[in-house]
Amino acid sequence: MFLALAYDPSNYPLNNNEWSFPLVEIIHIAGFALSIGTIVIVDMGLLGWGKRGSAAQLLRETAPWTLAGLVVMLLSGPLIFLSDPNMYLHNQSFRFKMTALLLAILYNYTVHRKVALSGASPGINKVVGVVSLALWVSVVAAGLFIAFV
Amino acid sequence: MSISETIQSVGFLTDIRESALVYPIIMSTHLACIAVFGGMILMTDLRLLGIAMTDRKVTEVVNQFRTWKRVGFCIMVTMGALLASSEAVKYSTNPFFWAKMSFLMLVAVHAIIFRPRVYNNTAELDRAPALPGTAKLAGALSLIIWLGVLSMGRLIGYYEGPGSPGKPQATLTQPVKVGQLTR
Repeated sequence: MFLALAYDPSNYPLNNNEWSFPLVEIIHIAGFALSIGTIVIVDMGLLGWGKRGSAAQLLRETAPWTLAGLVVMLLSGPLIFLSDPNMYLHNQSFRFKMTALLLAILYNYTVHRKVALSGASPGINKVVGVVSLALWVSVVAAGLFIAFV
Repeated sequence: MSISETIQSVGFLTDIRESALVYPIIMSTHLACIAVFGGMILMTDLRLLGIAMTDRKVTEVVNQFRTWKRVGFCIMVTMGALLASSEAVKYSTNPFFWAKMSFLMLVAVHAIIFRPRVYNNTAELDRAPALPGTAKLAGALSLIIWLGVLSMGRLIGYYEGPGSPGKPQATLTQPVKVGQLTR
């Protein structure tokens, strides 16, 4: 598949100020620490690893923070993307990341949420938690691999 | 040979540095730890500030995350030590690396000061009619220090060593991305 955008990123602010690009990356990382970090807290509940508090309670307590983190992540990510869209579009790791991210977000607000709130058998809870952890770790790892593939 | 050269010449550290796959895998694990364990630090701090998980006692929140924060910290430090020691020559002259180490020292100072007063003293905090200032201070400082660790960690990758022709020292540069457009 060949994709090319008629867009010249050479005048893009993030490419013309030495501190702006790393700053946006730092915001992006802090954003996923908040969003993924709070989702993982719910996963721990699903896996029965926390000392107290059901997954349902943990989800209710962390959901606003997860959303806030996702917003930060989904605003800063495209800013990074726009620094070099053609490179990203042709990067296998980036494509994998976008697929995993889409799946992870859909999963988080459907299966994950439903099971965390209403509960299922311990076995199903564990599977749902492990899948969530795997999806989100894939997103982060694939993000890092963009610079290495 | 300098100390940093001696460190990175150790067999398995040379292997890590020269591997196209192992180095980024260790780095991914280091980064994934932020995603997996960072939320627990954040939530503990926000509870101490009185703005998250306020339906629960401080004791409950601190105990809920304590063990996992420690597990995460160990994995993160192990991975970080592998990354830094395998590239010891580059890291030892990188000011952002030393800034990050300084922030990590502050993490230790924070623990020495606030562990007896806050983290090991949660029962008393919960008995107080309002959240004491010490707890809020501990939460706020922890947030600031960890954000410092994260920021300096990211900036390590942007430092171009001293002596690059025509470049001032301690300048920032974009990391090299494969397939990058010429600017």
